[in-house]
Amino acid sequence: MKKAWIVLLLLLNGCQIRTLNPHSQVAGDQAMLIYLSFAIMIVVMAVVFVLLIRFAWKYKQTAKNKDDVPEEINSNKRLEIMWTLFPVLLLAILAVPTVVVTYHVSPESRNGTDNAAANEAAIHIQVTAERYDWTFTYENGKQSNRLVLPVGEQAILHLQSEDVIHSFWVPELGGKQDVIPGKEILFEVTPDKTGTFLGKCAEFCGVNHALMRFDTDVLQEKAYRNWLQEE
Amino acid sequence: MTLPIWDNVLYMPGDVIAAWIMMLLVGPILLLWLSKTKKWPLVWEYMRTTNHRKIGSMYVLFGFLFFLRGGIDALLMRTQLAVPENNFWVFQGDKYNEVFSTHGTMMIFFAAMPLLIGLMNIAVPLQIGARDMAFPFLNAVSFWMFLAGGMLFNMAFFLDSSPNAGWTAYTPLSTDTYTQTEGNDYYLFALQVSGLGTTLTAVNMIVTILRHRAPGMKWNRMPLFPWATLVTSLLILVAFPVLTIALFLLMFERLFDTSFFSGEAGNPVYWQHLFWIFGHPEVYILALPAFGIFSDVISTFSRKKVFGYTAMVLSLCLIGFLGFMVWAHHMFTVGLGPMANTFFAITTMLIAIPTGIKVFNWLFTMRNGVVRFTVPMLFALAFIPTFVMGGVTGVMLSVAAADMQFHDTHFVVAHFHYTIIGSTILGVFAGIYYWYPKITGKLLDRRLGIWHLGLFITGFHLTFFLMHITGLNGMPRRTYTYQWGENLFAFNFISTIGAFLMGAGMAVFIWNIIRTRQSGDHAGADPWQGRTLEWLVSSPAPEHPFTKQPVVDQRDAFWYAKQAGRRMAAGTDSRPAPIAGKTIQPLCIGAILWLLSLSMIYQWWILAVLSGVLVLVMFLLRTWRDERINTIGKEGTADE
Amino acid sequence: MSKQAQALFLDKRMGFFIYLFVEGIMFAVLFATYIVYTPSHPGPDPRDVYSVPSVLLASFCLFASSATLLLAEKGLSRKSMPLVRGGMAATFFLGAGFFLLEIYEYFHYVTEGYTFTVNNFLSSFYILTGLHAVHVLFGLLWMVVLTLHSFRTLPYGLYQEKQKIFQYYWHFVDGVWLFILLIVYLPYIV
Repeated sequence: MKKAWIVLLLLLNGCQIRTLNPHSQVAGDQAMLIYLSFAIMIVVMAVVFVLLIRFAWKYKQTAKNKDDVPEEINSNKRLEIMWTLFPVLLLAILAVPTVVVTYHVSPESRNGTDNAAANEAAIHIQVTAERYDWTFTYENGKQSNRLVLPVGEQAILHLQSEDVIHSFWVPELGGKQDVIPGKEILFEVTPDKTGTFLGKCAEFCGVNHALMRFDTDVLQEKAYRNWLQEE
Repeated sequence: MTLPIWDNVLYMPGDVIAAWIMMLLVGPILLLWLSKTKKWPLVWEYMRTTNHRKIGSMYVLFGFLFFLRGGIDALLMRTQLAVPENNFWVFQGDKYNEVFSTHGTMMIFFAAMPLLIGLMNIAVPLQIGARDMAFPFLNAVSFWMFLAGGMLFNMAFFLDSSPNAGWTAYTPLSTDTYTQTEGNDYYLFALQVSGLGTTLTAVNMIVTILRHRAPGMKWNRMPLFPWATLVTSLLILVAFPVLTIALFLLMFERLFDTSFFSGEAGNPVYWQHLFWIFGHPEVYILALPAFGIFSDVISTFSRKKVFGYTAMVLSLCLIGFLGFMVWAHHMFTVGLGPMANTFFAITTMLIAIPTGIKVFNWLFTMRNGVVRFTVPMLFALAFIPTFVMGGVTGVMLSVAAADMQFHDTHFVVAHFHYTIIGSTILGVFAGIYYWYPKITGKLLDRRLGIWHLGLFITGFHLTFFLMHITGLNGMPRRTYTYQWGENLFAFNFISTIGAFLMGAGMAVFIWNIIRTRQSGDHAGADPWQGRTLEWLVSSPAPEHPFTKQPVVDQRDAFWYAKQAGRRMAAGTDSRPAPIAGKTIQPLCIGAILWLLSLSMIYQWWILAVLSGVLVLVMFLLRTWRDERINTIGKEGTADE
Repeated sequence: MSKQAQALFLDKRMGFFIYLFVEGIMFAVLFATYIVYTPSHPGPDPRDVYSVPSVLLASFCLFASSATLLLAEKGLSRKSMPLVRGGMAATFFLGAGFFLLEIYEYFHYVTEGYTFTVNNFLSSFYILTGLHAVHVLFGLLWMVVLTLHSFRTLPYGLYQEKQKIFQYYWHFVDGVWLFILLIVYLPYIV
């Protein structure tokens, strides 16, 4: 099993994994947190696995000790304090970036009254989820079932659902955000590399939930303007 | 498949038809076998029993049958997902949705819960030296309520109306606007009936543990399985009523047109809060009893007291307490805002600390001991790494910002299977191997047990380990298909192979049970060199185990009595035993509730009212024919 | 009571208290639901719906019934069956009075168009108070059964036990009403 985790580590470094191949600031932060928490947790696992294998091996019953009655040990204060404080320490290391990034990426749903909604420098796109399609409405009124974003510019997606709960997810751009009927939720993203990604609905929404996909293109500024003007 | 019946055309999916054919074949064979082997008196006996071991055995039996049903669902899902853009049999679209909804609900409520409650029923009264559960009648009622719910839930499939909104039944998808068929009504009522049964079991367990311990069994002398049972029961007391009311509200939503969770004025997220205020403690309700089982198993087979007993008990309580403060970590992507997300991230991380304490205490129980690799112990040794892997991914998930990537992907599927199979299911099997002598009087075969564990655990890691990667690579859960270009094929295919290995492991287990039945050796009262009181009574545990309750002078008193070469003293001032009698009333209550639920599902109001009245009649019958009138009457009036 | 009956009674009492705790949680969730959805828009406001006199009269009946039940308790400890039956009869009639007033209140609301599904405030109001009313109705039936028991040749200890368990139940139902009064009605009628 330990080997399997090492294999995973190698695989993760291969940039094959969508969530670990970030194309935006948010997704980058999230990928950093995934790596960090994974690294810390590897330490915990290593300790447990080593102790388990060692104890099971060293103290296994043999012909020699099979009638022994081992000495009773009730507890050991020092050890117990150690394995209470050790996780506290590891978690503290993890908690700090968690709080910082979580504060940064958790959207508020204030129905368009907060700063983000009023941000005129950003590109605003209306995203409507309706079983089992996504519709993107751009600032010039163009509607499409593709999400097209210019690289390096802040985009604010106004997520709305027409029926049940959906979830908007493009792994490379960070994620994910539930789309809840009766509420407009803002999702901010600034792509920093171009590319074409697959987006999906990630909250179970009915018969064809699995087919509720959409394509995302992150284009250069100019290409984006051209696309926007196309019929 | 469509069947022309006279003028009507009835559509029936192929899997339902196959199930009916199976049923019609297996049913008569089973009945014939029961008659041939003259088992009817035994069946009648179990239908009327109020004995804790017999009820526990029935819980385990039916829990296991439902576990197999849920397992078959899992195999069907894995087959559909084996290759991209697959069209296996009928399992696409809604049919797949029905399968995973059934799988989740079945495994949590009708497999894991009854299997654990069954083992609690069998072992806890014996471990604390009680003569039976505090309320034997109520215990039987709980069981038949569970079975009524289970039967109801399984029936839905045969009528081609399985629930299809997931085991979490998120609104508004689960309201009648979006899922009109009866499927989710079956879900509602099946959970409602069996959930009430579970709540009553918790009441029963708490009173049993609080008031029926053997003389001298102080709190700090009680084995850890009863401790875990006590904490679990307390969690049930708080968590299940919340589910009851959530389901109650959803019932009004589906049958009586309210709009709490849908429409303009509705609030779909309120359902999620209610569901997870129940749902997260439920996870610990499943895990803690397994922790208790492993604590006893590891201590017995290391021939040592459990290390850090006080810390073990405190961490149980702490996990239980923290379990109520973390529900919103299932809702990080809902948009609760930065404050809520951070708060629940931190509380979730905190749970890792008491859990870590438990893991280290188990490890240090083995240290300096004599570790015997019996089957229950091997399950425990498989449990520790598996559960720790589930635990560390749990910490990873608690990182709220990162969870936004993990949420609702196969990463989460992997995580909760690592924790629930890792703790609950391995714990249940460890418990079954460990206490099998107390249930049937025989020991299960060791070699087959090792094969069972080997196949199951290998298959398990193959299946679920790779799901971490598919999840990170963008595979959402609850999807029946994926595309060729997504780089998911190899992982999914191996997962499917693993799932079938787990299935093979289960087949070995069933074979083990059959073989042991035919040719197993009779075990003595104490086949494992046990430490706790259940090994004091003969195997299988007799109907009235302790005529006088034993006197407990220290923890693991039975072990030290054996070491000193003396018998345990029998108490002189035992408390009075619960009064039990055979009665068919509990079964009738279960049957009536089943009928009531069915008439509510199909909105046959007259029948619903009639069965409601019948429930009241059962109350009347119960109070009128109180079994204590005879027993208490004799001495009671003399004293007054 | 004999030692055996006493021990079994204490078991039962503890079990019943725990059960009442469970009921308490259920009501708590319904209170939370009510608070979440009240007042709700569009649709009627609680201030326009509630009819104060019938609520106060009903509350009086129910609280008085708890008081008369104390009489029955006194009778039970003094082994005076007439006092028990008298107390129980008074409790029954006050309880029935509460129940009828509650039905009347619903009827009144419904005729004014405030039906169950008009808005979420009314739905949660009816579910919460309706569940409580069903508890009262169950208590009324229970009292009938207990009275029937009191005419049987039941061992006194057993009768005493059944009577006591009922008393806990009735006081609990009363207590829930107090919370209904404080949380459901009071904020909107003062």
